Amino acid sequence: MTTTENPAATDTRTITLRVNGREITRTVSTRTTLADFLRDDLDLVSVHLGCEHGVCGCCTVLLDGQSVRSCLMLAVQARGHEVETVESLSADQTNLHPIQEAFAEEHALQCGFCTPAMVLRCKEIIADGRTRTDEEVRREISGILCRCTGYQNIVNAVQNASRRCASTGQEA
Amino acid sequence: MKPPRFLYCDPDTLDAAVALKAQHGFDALMLAGGQSLMPMLNMRLASPGVLIDINGITDLQRVVRTDDVLEIGAGVRQSAIESDEQVHAAVPLLARAVPHIGHVENRHRGTVGGSIAHADGAAELPCIAVTLDAVIVVRGASGEREIPAKDFFQGFLSNACAPDELVVAVRFPVTPAAAGTGFVEVARREGDFALAAAAVQAELDEQGRISRIAVGLAGVAATPVRATAVEDRLTGAAADPDTVAAAAQLAADVVTTGDDLHATAAYRKHLATTVVMRAVLAAVADAEQRTQNGSAS
Amino acid sequence: MTATQDPARTTEEGPDRPAFTYIGKDRRRVEDPRLLVGRGGYIADMKLPGMLHAAILRSPVPHARIASIDVSAALEIPGVVAVFTGEDVKAHMDPCMNFGPATITQYPIAVDKVRYVGEAVAAVVAENRYIAEDGVDAIVVEYEELPVVSDPRAALEPDAPVLHEEHGSNLGYERTFEFGDITAALESADLVVEDELHWGRSAGMPMETTGAIARPGHNGVLEIYCNSLNFSYLQFLLAAALRIPSNKLKMQPVPAGGSFGSKFTAHKVPTLAGFLALRTGRPVCYLEDRLDHLMNSDHHGSDRYYKVRMGFTKDGLITGLDVDVVDDYGAYMQFGVGTHGNALSQAVGPYRFRDLRYRLRAAVTNKCQQGAYRGFGSEVHNWVLERLVEQGAAKLGIAPEEIRKRNFVLPEEFPYKIPGGNVYDSGNYPGVLEKALSMIDLEHWRKEKERLRREENRYIGIGIATTQERSVFSSTEFWFWFDEPPFPITSSPESATITIDPTGAFQLLLHCQAMWGNSPETVATTILAEEFGIEPESVNVSYADTSRALPGTGPGGSRFTVMVAGAVRGAARKLKKKLIDIAAHTLEVAPEDLELVAARVQVRGAPERSLGLPELAASAYFFALNLPPGMQSGLEESYTYDHPYTTLPSPDRSDLGVFYPIMGHACHIAVMEVDPDTGMTKFLDYVAVHDAGTVVNPKSLGGHVTGGAAQGLGSTLYEELAYDADGQFRSSTFLDYLVPTANEVPPFRIGHVETPSPYTEYGIKGGGEGGRMVTPSAVSAAIDDALREYGMHVRELPIKPADIVATVQAARAKG
Repeated sequence: MTTTENPAATDTRTITLRVNGREITRTVSTRTTLADFLRDDLDLVSVHLGCEHGVCGCCTVLLDGQSVRSCLMLAVQARGHEVETVESLSADQTNLHPIQEAFAEEHALQCGFCTPAMVLRCKEIIADGRTRTDEEVRREISGILCRCTGYQNIVNAVQNASRRCASTGQEA
Repeated sequence: MKPPRFLYCDPDTLDAAVALKAQHGFDALMLAGGQSLMPMLNMRLASPGVLIDINGITDLQRVVRTDDVLEIGAGVRQSAIESDEQVHAAVPLLARAVPHIGHVENRHRGTVGGSIAHADGAAELPCIAVTLDAVIVVRGASGEREIPAKDFFQGFLSNACAPDELVVAVRFPVTPAAAGTGFVEVARREGDFALAAAAVQAELDEQGRISRIAVGLAGVAATPVRATAVEDRLTGAAADPDTVAAAAQLAADVVTTGDDLHATAAYRKHLATTVVMRAVLAAVADAEQRTQNGSAS
Repeated sequence: MTATQDPARTTEEGPDRPAFTYIGKDRRRVEDPRLLVGRGGYIADMKLPGMLHAAILRSPVPHARIASIDVSAALEIPGVVAVFTGEDVKAHMDPCMNFGPATITQYPIAVDKVRYVGEAVAAVVAENRYIAEDGVDAIVVEYEELPVVSDPRAALEPDAPVLHEEHGSNLGYERTFEFGDITAALESADLVVEDELHWGRSAGMPMETTGAIARPGHNGVLEIYCNSLNFSYLQFLLAAALRIPSNKLKMQPVPAGGSFGSKFTAHKVPTLAGFLALRTGRPVCYLEDRLDHLMNSDHHGSDRYYKVRMGFTKDGLITGLDVDVVDDYGAYMQFGVGTHGNALSQAVGPYRFRDLRYRLRAAVTNKCQQGAYRGFGSEVHNWVLERLVEQGAAKLGIAPEEIRKRNFVLPEEFPYKIPGGNVYDSGNYPGVLEKALSMIDLEHWRKEKERLRREENRYIGIGIATTQERSVFSSTEFWFWFDEPPFPITSSPESATITIDPTGAFQLLLHCQAMWGNSPETVATTILAEEFGIEPESVNVSYADTSRALPGTGPGGSRFTVMVAGAVRGAARKLKKKLIDIAAHTLEVAPEDLELVAARVQVRGAPERSLGLPELAASAYFFALNLPPGMQSGLEESYTYDHPYTTLPSPDRSDLGVFYPIMGHACHIAVMEVDPDTGMTKFLDYVAVHDAGTVVNPKSLGGHVTGGAAQGLGSTLYEELAYDADGQFRSSTFLDYLVPTANEVPPFRIGHVETPSPYTEYGIKGGGEGGRMVTPSAVSAAIDDALREYGMHVRELPIKPADIVATVQAARAKG
């Protein structure tokens, strides 16, 4: 993907990246944000736009396994990278991933708008298998705003998901 | 809230980036981690003709430690230094301050050079750079130059780079083993910009008196500032709470930020003295601990 | 004379209360699976063929005459389809729906004048949102700036600049209600406390903004998909604004990513989208971005300035309350002063005093309009009430829990008619307080507070507060303000349609706004499950569009759970009767000898003689000759459940009638630490006990309580929609409007008490708002308690760190 020559300054580019495990090649306007690219070009509408200035975190995706705000990246910047949205856990409503199950069990969502972001963030948090206090979990999820739950049930869901993934040996 | 039209380029080398910046001058903006620039683009508060994305320049992504200098490339992510034991050991103040930068999602993208170049007076990294007398390395068409942090931050969101220059690295002096550090920040919410933050590095003499001290403040002026009056008063002074508290009062004088939505000027002055006092005491305690550990080992 | 009507009492109260199978159990929500895979079906997720996108140009000035608008450069941008201004809306539509004075008119794009920063000046319609915003940037507007009115009290001065010339002043409404004899009540008091209080503006601020897609459809029908509007109740008003017949406007409810009041009849967005679609002849999406929502939404919350007095006997009994409030409504008054009806519905709180005066003045200023936010204005009144009770307790030396106990309306006094006419249906206020006290060791914390102050120089405060939580509004509160209301509506129904399909599977059609973060499908399917003995998850739920919707009022005012339960149960009764009649005919037994148990109709005492739903459904759909004579084929029944208990106001308004009688209650206890040198606060413990009658799902009710409490905390310490004296808006991004994160919100410990309503199906009361209605009082009291030695007295929300430190520093300076 990396070129040796510097391409000229352009307003469209053809990019190749991996999204939820699939290699994707698309031509995009260079001003298109990663969030809009995922939503509009790839129909991954789980990426929600809450503020578009990098505060609410509803557009969080995993970029090479790390949670980032997709409204603060251009789609063109994701070339050569691996992007995961919540669909990468499970897109099947009848067969949810253990993290999604944990969120349902703990009533960790109400309107659902921050939920994909929180689920992805949870995946990154529990990936190291470390046990965390509730207060540590709170700090870890504090970059995503939830307006419905008051957060406690999300904290519970992260702990629940951590237990589920540890006990099943499933990689988060 | 969508970015305006611009031309985009993503040079692979520093030389190419410098050439592009020289070509486009003020019409070009550098896109690093994007945590400050992208909101400005989305809100159309910035409308560059050309955006130079420097994320692909591997030369900017190195952390190099020599005996007395830790050089962090401009493109190094904030979360990378947050989890880098080498950085913690070399410059403990960075380890204390970096977790206060936004939230982890911001730090996964945000870069050291980006934060320095953005030059926000309330941001953590510029404050640490000023506190530790770091050197900002910039490169332009006519080559590289080193700018002391105290001269780099020139005013509200403005730095000393010429139109053709970009930040390539920050050189932090390695902290002496016995020096203690403290960082105290108060924000409306954790992760917000500081209403006031104090960064302190202190060394004690054999009597436990303060032999050297640096006190930096964020959030209280257009740029990060040093509380030199506090430093002068405390150099050679006893490190007891009353002395520190009295000296910390002098920090109020560096506060020039007026009333805003989140704080009044009077509050910021009191807060500055409070965070300075607490950060100095934390640094002193840290130094005492290090001295004990050092003599015990 | 007060019209009275004896409401039907249901059987769910008392010792004979039936046991439930599904109601009252922690169950997973049926809404969750689709949300967890990111398929919430939000408005932004919809894409229609040929759809255009709109962006609006927002006014940068608070008050100005629009001298000229040059859109020519915008129209030259490739991809820009059209630009519309106030001239266009004036020519082609009528003013937006409006429950305020008729002389204060509003359009979705400003006509002739702008009246606040952020008001829409032009709308650009383009192939995509990026290009639409390019178009916005290219528009040139000349403003002739006018003097600005920012302070609502100054707005009422005789020489204040007037926003609406046709209205003639900035006074949107004024009236003084007096119930009892407030002068005598205060004169007879041993202690009169008084205060001046300001509740600052915050807002529901859901993570999803308001949006609508409008499409010109077949036969001249305009379709509007929208995440707002209690549509079947108000749809015809929107049609009227667009100058189309109501049967030519089809509104389709779309799920919302949160509302909290912000989407309650938020009409500007669908009205604008509809207008743009009609003018362009194309589908148009207008979705607020966060900046639009912050400065140009339909609903900022209450913004009130109070002068208040409360009398006490020396024993701490409240004698009366005297309220003088100026409410800053901003530039328009779409809801009139409805948020004060909510305050009057529980004006005396849970307390027994009888004398009350309530003077209200609504001021019009150069700010965004205000309207609904969780609590709908009753949360503000409760804060005022509790601030005064707190002050009385402190001055009389009575513990905060004790003064409340002495004043509570007692369980045996219900139904209890309060001054003003509303009725509290039932309650157990001492029981809720006792439950809260049992969950926290108050004596421990009181000792700890002293010890930490003495030994560690730390400042701990304990705050106790209660609230009423009125639920299930009646529409009489929309108009009892006026002596001659133009439309004295008395209906506020909710409907449901149950269909059993030919295989015996259930369809449930709701006639309200789609889910907006509440749990309408979980609640409705739980009720359906209770009635038929089926699994809630097996039911498919959908929402009617207005072309076939039955009467519905939608969520709001904590009415939905009560009302949809009534509607579903009503429809279930009708459908069960039909099933039993079919079974009776088939089994040749009398209908009264049959019962429906666990999805089968069986003979009482002989359950082996039974028919399952699939068999009965097959008969109903396919075997007409097997049906009782005269019975129609099919298995579908609808029911419209009207408000269970409302009465007319008296003509002289000395009695406002029963308008909000289903009364919940809550008690919160907060233990906080305050840092006097930074003004930062931290929770050490927090207990919240709520009584929402029969609980349908404890887990989801608990979610409402914690979420509401978090919002209450936001309004108390962080969130502020601020304007400066020049009318400039200072909270225009999420960097300045501070929604609490997981770091700021404490782990609330929740308790439930259940005092069933005698008037609702199953005894359910509303519980959606109470969390937000009491946190501000508990937190204010805790902060005062922590810094009592410095004379801390919270008078203004949000309480900022700077305010706390200023109080401490001033006290220290005095020594």
